[in-house]
Amino acid sequence: MNKLEKRIETAKKKWETLDEGNKEPVIYVGAASCGRAAGALDLIAGINNFINENNIKARVVEVGCIGPCYLEPLVDIRFPGQPRVSYNNVTVKTLPMILKSHLMEGVPHAKLALGHFGTNTFYDIPRFFDLPMLKPQVRIVLRNCGFIDPEDIDQYLALDGYQGFLKALKASPEDVIGVVRQAGLRGRGGAGFPTFKKWTVCRAAPGEKKYLICNADEGDPGAFMNRSLIESDPHAVLEGMLIAGYAIGAQKGIVYIRAEYPLAIERLKTAIHKMKEYGLLGKNIQGSGFSFDIKIKEGAGAFVCGEETALIGSIEGKRGMPRSRPPFPAISGLFGSPTIINNVETLGTLPNILRNGAEWYSKFGKEGNRGTKTFSLVGKIRRPGLIEVQLGTTLREIIFEIGGGVQKTFKAIQTGGPSGGCLSEEFLDLPVDYESLASAGSIMGSGGLIIMDEDTCIVDVAKYFLDFTQKESCGKCVPCRVGTRHMVEILDRITHGEGNPEDLLALRTLGDTIKKGALCGLGQTAPNPVLTTLRYFRNEYLEHIKDQRCRATVCKDLIEYRVIKEKCTGCQSCVRACPTGAISGPRSEPHNLDVSKCIKCRSCYEICRFDAIAGDAIVIRTAEKRS
Amino acid sequence: MTKEKKLSITIDNRTVEVRPHLTILEAARTHNIYIPSLCAMEHLPSYGACRLCVVEVDGLRGFPTSCTTPVEDGMVIRTDTGEIRTLRQEVLKLLLSEHPASCLFCTEQDECKDYQGTIRKAGVITGCRYCPNDTRCELQQVTERIGLTETSYPVYYRNFPVEKNDPFYDRDYNLCILCGRCVRVCNSVRLNGTLSFKQRGKITTVGPAFDRTHLEAGCEFCGACVTVCPTGALSTKTSKWYGKPDKEVATTCVYCPVGCTLKLQVRKSEVLDVLPDYNSALDHGFICVKGRFAVPEYVHSSFRIPVPQRITPLGYNDISWDEAIAEAAERLAGVKPDSFLMMVSPQLTNEDLFVAQQFARQIIGSDQIGSPLLYDLGADTGPFVNLVSQSSAFDVIDDAEAVLAIGFDSTYDYAPIGIGTKKAAQRGAVLVTINSCDTNLDMLSEMAFTCGTEKWSALVGLLTGASAQGAAPLFPTWKKDIAGIQGIFKKSTRKVIIAGPGLLAAPQRTEIIEKLLKVKEKGGWDIIVAHPYSNLKGMLAMGAFHGIKTGAIINENGQAEGVKGDLSKFDLTKGCTVIYAVGVSDLDSLPDCDYLIYQNALPSESQRRPDLLLPAALFTESSGTVINGEGRILPVNKAVEPYRSAKPDWWILNAIGERIKKGVMKYAQVQSVQKEIAKTIKGFPGVKKRLEFSRIDVKMKTPKGAPKMRKQGQFNYRGIPLEAVVKGMKAIEERIELISGSNRGAI
Amino acid sequence: MPKKIDAILTQYGRKQDELIPVLQGVQKEYGYISPDSVSMISRYLRISENQIFGVSSFYAQFRFTEPGRHSIKVCLGTACHVQGGATLLDMLERGLAVECGETTPDKRFDLERVACLGCCALSPVVQMDQDIYSRMTVNKLTELLKIYE
Repeated sequence: MNKLEKRIETAKKKWETLDEGNKEPVIYVGAASCGRAAGALDLIAGINNFINENNIKARVVEVGCIGPCYLEPLVDIRFPGQPRVSYNNVTVKTLPMILKSHLMEGVPHAKLALGHFGTNTFYDIPRFFDLPMLKPQVRIVLRNCGFIDPEDIDQYLALDGYQGFLKALKASPEDVIGVVRQAGLRGRGGAGFPTFKKWTVCRAAPGEKKYLICNADEGDPGAFMNRSLIESDPHAVLEGMLIAGYAIGAQKGIVYIRAEYPLAIERLKTAIHKMKEYGLLGKNIQGSGFSFDIKIKEGAGAFVCGEETALIGSIEGKRGMPRSRPPFPAISGLFGSPTIINNVETLGTLPNILRNGAEWYSKFGKEGNRGTKTFSLVGKIRRPGLIEVQLGTTLREIIFEIGGGVQKTFKAIQTGGPSGGCLSEEFLDLPVDYESLASAGSIMGSGGLIIMDEDTCIVDVAKYFLDFTQKESCGKCVPCRVGTRHMVEILDRITHGEGNPEDLLALRTLGDTIKKGALCGLGQTAPNPVLTTLRYFRNEYLEHIKDQRCRATVCKDLIEYRVIKEKCTGCQSCVRACPTGAISGPRSEPHNLDVSKCIKCRSCYEICRFDAIAGDAIVIRTAEKRS
Repeated sequence: MTKEKKLSITIDNRTVEVRPHLTILEAARTHNIYIPSLCAMEHLPSYGACRLCVVEVDGLRGFPTSCTTPVEDGMVIRTDTGEIRTLRQEVLKLLLSEHPASCLFCTEQDECKDYQGTIRKAGVITGCRYCPNDTRCELQQVTERIGLTETSYPVYYRNFPVEKNDPFYDRDYNLCILCGRCVRVCNSVRLNGTLSFKQRGKITTVGPAFDRTHLEAGCEFCGACVTVCPTGALSTKTSKWYGKPDKEVATTCVYCPVGCTLKLQVRKSEVLDVLPDYNSALDHGFICVKGRFAVPEYVHSSFRIPVPQRITPLGYNDISWDEAIAEAAERLAGVKPDSFLMMVSPQLTNEDLFVAQQFARQIIGSDQIGSPLLYDLGADTGPFVNLVSQSSAFDVIDDAEAVLAIGFDSTYDYAPIGIGTKKAAQRGAVLVTINSCDTNLDMLSEMAFTCGTEKWSALVGLLTGASAQGAAPLFPTWKKDIAGIQGIFKKSTRKVIIAGPGLLAAPQRTEIIEKLLKVKEKGGWDIIVAHPYSNLKGMLAMGAFHGIKTGAIINENGQAEGVKGDLSKFDLTKGCTVIYAVGVSDLDSLPDCDYLIYQNALPSESQRRPDLLLPAALFTESSGTVINGEGRILPVNKAVEPYRSAKPDWWILNAIGERIKKGVMKYAQVQSVQKEIAKTIKGFPGVKKRLEFSRIDVKMKTPKGAPKMRKQGQFNYRGIPLEAVVKGMKAIEERIELISGSNRGAI
Repeated sequence: MPKKIDAILTQYGRKQDELIPVLQGVQKEYGYISPDSVSMISRYLRISENQIFGVSSFYAQFRFTEPGRHSIKVCLGTACHVQGGATLLDMLERGLAVECGETTPDKRFDLERVACLGCCALSPVVQMDQDIYSRMTVNKLTELLKIYE
């Protein structure tokens, strides 16, 4: 038995002590970036304190993100002989209650529990995967997320990690490409180009040196699938890189990752270090003759570097400006060598395909759109978080079943980030696949889904995206650099109530020119948010232009703040909060709001809503039409 | 070499054959199919930013740019469909919303010329019709071709202050369209790295790091960026408002021995500007600041001597040529041969030099022919001219494996050699530099040995293996480096030494030269000498040198014994009756004499006042030839009429000579001089190949008084420092002083 | 006392593709990229200072002025935007009397915007130094600033 096999055996035994065979309680804390932002690190400190003070023998394991971010922070407890139980929105206050009951008495705190991972009924706690947010999901890429300690390679190995790669090593690179072709995997970075096609070109391209780049420059604002996956299960991505590297004949892998993701970078570094120790990286891996090395390159804050040629430029130490194709990177990429750039999720999917076979994978999804896709579901949604569904699931299922519906009334969903489009209610039954989204004028993108309700102004959102692409434009080509600037300016005018009807035509023309004329994908897709909203929400534009009205009460120039006299108790909270002294009035009497002094900063509105005695006595409403 | 197969493509329904590896744009241009474009330019890597050259190609998605898409066999291309036209117009509209466009769309456009005098100043500020580049602007031409007559977008005037603090050219980035030509030419062609895009997106600008001036940022002022700029963003200070030239005259630069081709931009009797010739096989258009910017101000200096002048107790009096010739002839007639001294500048043309030596030898009967370089080099003159005569072709650098540059810096001169060296280093040749200060090649070097000139000889000996005697202990800290370089040099076969002007400032220059010649002899090393004596090879070939006869040094068969010269009896300190100085202006160094003839274009800065001033024409005003550092005969072509009464040097010499002794010269035109030269140098001046020079063995003794090193780092032409007449050169000289103290090398 | 720049440089190879890692290393140590650093990097990597500046000014990460004691990064990702991130930035700009991208005169805060911190489900978020604060409001933020001196 060789060394790795021995390690796997030990790993499996070790896993037993955390899983079904655990002799002492195990506490899992979801501590990916999002969990940490919600206070997970304080909880870990609290748990350790509790254990020490009460002399309890228990293990604390930091795990990644299991998905339902709105329930963060999550703490799971597995008491010996019991299924694992998950507690949501744990605070420093509720933590001792949970620990006392579950750890000391062995009885889960059913009231605070969210779900359990057993098969049978357990107290009154529902099964975790029967929760409405989880039930419709199919977890392939995310299978380990939230379950294993991402810093412990043994846990990954215990759950069949690296089996896909080891299988691939036994086959020829051509066979590996064949499996990926059969599985029907398409690039998860956005455009959905069949992965095997790119690989075939690269494999056939002449050149001694070849590179595989993992694109973890997740720049779409409102998308965090890649961060979450790397933070929660880095080995899955790295195993994918090994498989891809083997298939295309690369000797070097590079993870190009945003510097804004420090935890993910840390986790990758730890994981790569472990891989080397386990003989999964380096020269002649596992005696196969295949040598591969992985390096991490941190991005430096440029959205455009998500574009393949710009990314290559950035790795080469140049300005991240895209260049025209051909030549395609698969033929001439990094340092002029054949280069494949695959998205994090594409790579994270590969181990599963190789391990379980193409046939298994192609059972998910639909014809031409095989498998699953992860999405970050955010915005005005009740249950925001990270989800994974089969391709072909409808938007309605995602929003209303998994996401639990919208906070107020549904208005729109933005797919594909700044390169995508805003779809209206009529598209709710659209199946989420590459072609359907494209036919509606949007794109799949990397997987950000932003839900908007009646409080979201569509013109403001369009302006937001254009402003974003404008700021991130590299400035090289004229249509993108200048065209987006004109578009932002027109949109800005409209949100200030200074638009005119011709503006809509100008936006269309500009959008068209940029789409056709821009050099790279960033530019060519930049007008999408405007073009789709013009198509599906034209009325809202016209309201801004003709009536100077923003029905969502977002556009500052078109709204005003008012005190509802009948509701105001005169508690003076808002008077103290107002930075400009626009609100006045004696205690216990309805306050006055001087509109001329009001800068619409929202302080009074917030304080009245949450802290003030009156509650909701201050309202934001659309202003009277200007003469 | 097998001929590459041609490709067949269809452009706009025309099937044509093209060479492979062309872009669609290049292919279209070879077949005279117009595709508008602003960022693409011959000799520059393609960029694809302006998006005007979009085309449609069967099988390719969208609208690929023709400047970046390579042709493929069977490609079907459409360059002018309705959709393309609309797209181009829209893109151009966007482009023009970043660029003041009143020169294009103003309703007063046609009448504008009439008001030129009054609106000029305002026009500069608003970018109105009288933008410096008006009528020469590529953007104007493209707009006309695309047929855009109005634009609907507001103009984003960026309000950058116009940058005028650098010498030679101004920068108004309000007119910049970010086509990146300047950035590419600076980085990819000139390999200089002064210009870069800064920031990104709509606030992208072009310039050096931080807010440095170009001078501080290491700019060479080669002007390549100005040459390629399609708009008026970059413009030459002296000629920016001059509009279009009438004609262009190609000539050879006489400021250094490289002999770059200069394209003189001429209007009427004025050289407005000088452009490089990117198709020149010799220099590839890599001219330096002197060729690019230091010609018009020099040749049109207001200090030019207008007419012959004679000294009187009350100052100089204008006289006619006839009077001048008569006076000179009278003074010269009967002068004893050893009481006469002919001083000639090595920056004269071959024809001038030939006539000068003929004048001395045949009219006066004297071999007393000197040159300022004797003062510079003293006893080292012999070895130095020998080194020069044995220097190799410049293109040896193109496939060199190892380059050793001694006292060489190509920031402001010898640009083609410098760029060749940089290219060699970039493609993997090992570059080693020796200098007493930082040089512009250090960045690319394997090792830069920066040390005092007194140590150079030892170092050269060690590195090249010429002699290691007692040298090693001088460099305790470089032991390892030296050993490493020695190893590399030993292994390399194609090796080049560049002996720069800094060499002339080293105290043991003869010793160094001997070492260089020794390793050349042993084989493997080629030597390129970069020195300030432009036409030194011409001077030697013409025999305008004491003891060397016309043509004697040309080695036609490649096996001549070598030429023996003897300067040991030539005393440069001995008083004379008459000194005739042609293009020589350091008069204070000359020996005493009764009568001094000063023949030059600009007055001397010396204390000593010559007796007769004869106004000479400059290289833009007369024709002739020079022989460059590698032995090529290059044409100097007249572009404008001489200033006022100025005459070519050969003409003046001929006239005076004829007056003294009729029938010896009788040259009416420069061609007749050339015919005379051809009697000794076969085929002159039509020889295409490099002239091979023989070894020279000149006997010398140190002239009285120690050999003096001239003021360092001073560029001059015909003895006049360029900085005295070319405004921007002063800043350049100050920059050199700042960087290198006094270590840059003699001139 | 920050490490000598030489000590930082020698951790990297002398090739152009090390430029961005080198800049990141230098900025990590000194907090910004000074002209002196650029000059040293130029000699080490054999890239002109101008080209280094061109590359570094392209990327949002690099700054050329000394940073303040604390950095405030307001996330303006899409999720944060629809949940009112811009209002937070407005409030900070007004409260600290600086524009986004500037440092307060007392060097206490750097105010920056970021495109997305990847914590979209907890929007709007603000990052103070290394800590991310979720579901921020104008009033919570006012309180938060007081912790940072």
